[in-house]
Amino acid sequence: MTTTAPARTAAVAAIGVGLLGTIAGCAAGDASADVGTVDESYADGTYTADGSYQSPNGTESISVTLTIADDVVTAVEIETRPTNPTTSQFQSLFAEGIADEVVGVDIDQLDVTVVSGSSLTSGGFREAVATIKADALVG
Amino acid sequence: MPSSAEAATGHQRYDGSVFEAIGTVWRIGAGAHTDARLGDPLDAQTLAAVLARIEQFDHDWSRFRDDGFVGRVAREPGIHQLPADAPPLFSLYRELHAATAGRLSPLVGRSLEQLGYDAEYRLRPAGEPVAAPQWDDAIAVRASSTGLTLETVAPVVLDVGAAGKGYLVDLVGEVLVANGVTDSVVDAGGDARVRGERSTRVALEHPADASKAVGLVELRDAAIAASAPNRRAWGDGLHHIIDALSGHPVAERAVATWVIAPTAMLADGIATAMFLADPEELGARFEVEWAMMGRDGSWRSSAQWPGELFAKGERT
Repeated sequence: MTTTAPARTAAVAAIGVGLLGTIAGCAAGDASADVGTVDESYADGTYTADGSYQSPNGTESISVTLTIADDVVTAVEIETRPTNPTTSQFQSLFAEGIADEVVGVDIDQLDVTVVSGSSLTSGGFREAVATIKADALVG
Repeated sequence: MPSSAEAATGHQRYDGSVFEAIGTVWRIGAGAHTDARLGDPLDAQTLAAVLARIEQFDHDWSRFRDDGFVGRVAREPGIHQLPADAPPLFSLYRELHAATAGRLSPLVGRSLEQLGYDAEYRLRPAGEPVAAPQWDDAIAVRASSTGLTLETVAPVVLDVGAAGKGYLVDLVGEVLVANGVTDSVVDAGGDARVRGERSTRVALEHPADASKAVGLVELRDAAIAASAPNRRAWGDGLHHIIDALSGHPVAERAVATWVIAPTAMLADGIATAMFLADPEELGARFEVEWAMMGRDGSWRSSAQWPGELFAKGERT
């Protein structure tokens, strides 16, 4: 089992219809669903942000790169920078999980007070996404 | 302590009080806000009381510390005074133990250590899985004039991972109430409780992609908790949800579960129990609403689940 951490790259070929599809999915059985509403615009481009989080082994870091086109996240890259083998395992599993799924949802969909389901790594991830979001915000 | 994102941008999402403790991010907001903001930060005195409460709970209940109650019980048999906050937690564990035919147990600490989930985070199995001791053989909980006592005949490694974090969310909320904060949201890494007059929107996080939501609920005077084996996995088939009868991690009948309940402790415990018993039966037995996502992205949920679950298949 490797304990080094090569950058894991998940370049996902997503397109604009991803967002539409997601809105349709959200609205299933409820035409008034508003979760797909886009109320902010983002400049197209590639954004990278670093997040850190507290693990039982101390502070660990993770770097997230998002590519945004037409307010849709079209690619995610995650680079883990573990400081010890244990965290390397957690982070690579997390990165693999992310890579499994196609992205294509406007990140404004996260505009809720609480996100339920997160665990060790996601604190750092969420922080990184929040920074990206702020960087990408037009105006 | 503000997150770096807040420091860099002043973004409103990271208002309230945000800090890290017991390996997770705590986000606490005060006030009956109606927008997506977390809310007002806690004043210094209240925040200090919250941090002290978390530290005390960790001291008493962490399997990874040897200076508290759990550490003592793991070292020496005998009659141990349970921490003052133990009764609701043990009561729920007893109910969950019965509802899962013994498969959910607070005695799985040794089983977890054997699988590698130990204080050193070895994350390498030490050998074949070991079943947890039988509850009635290993421990006896009795009421005494000074509270509850736990009697053991041999060292036992307790693990309250199934409901402990949720219970701590409830306890932190009680600290807030005691300090005059009656409207609040307390979020400990995705297990959250909303108190008072506020109504709070909660996204159900995609189990494989933290940038996506797979559902949405609005909570008012209620709690939500999630459980997802893959998010605390450390190897193929190795994760933290253990069948106490076998000592094996449970087969992953779902990728994630969510439970809404009056308390975060109950929500947390049922979210785990759903991997060990039929959710329908748990739903009939406890005051909860539940939802679970299958490996193929399909949903099962209780009939009265109060939120939206985004359907799979319509996604392009």
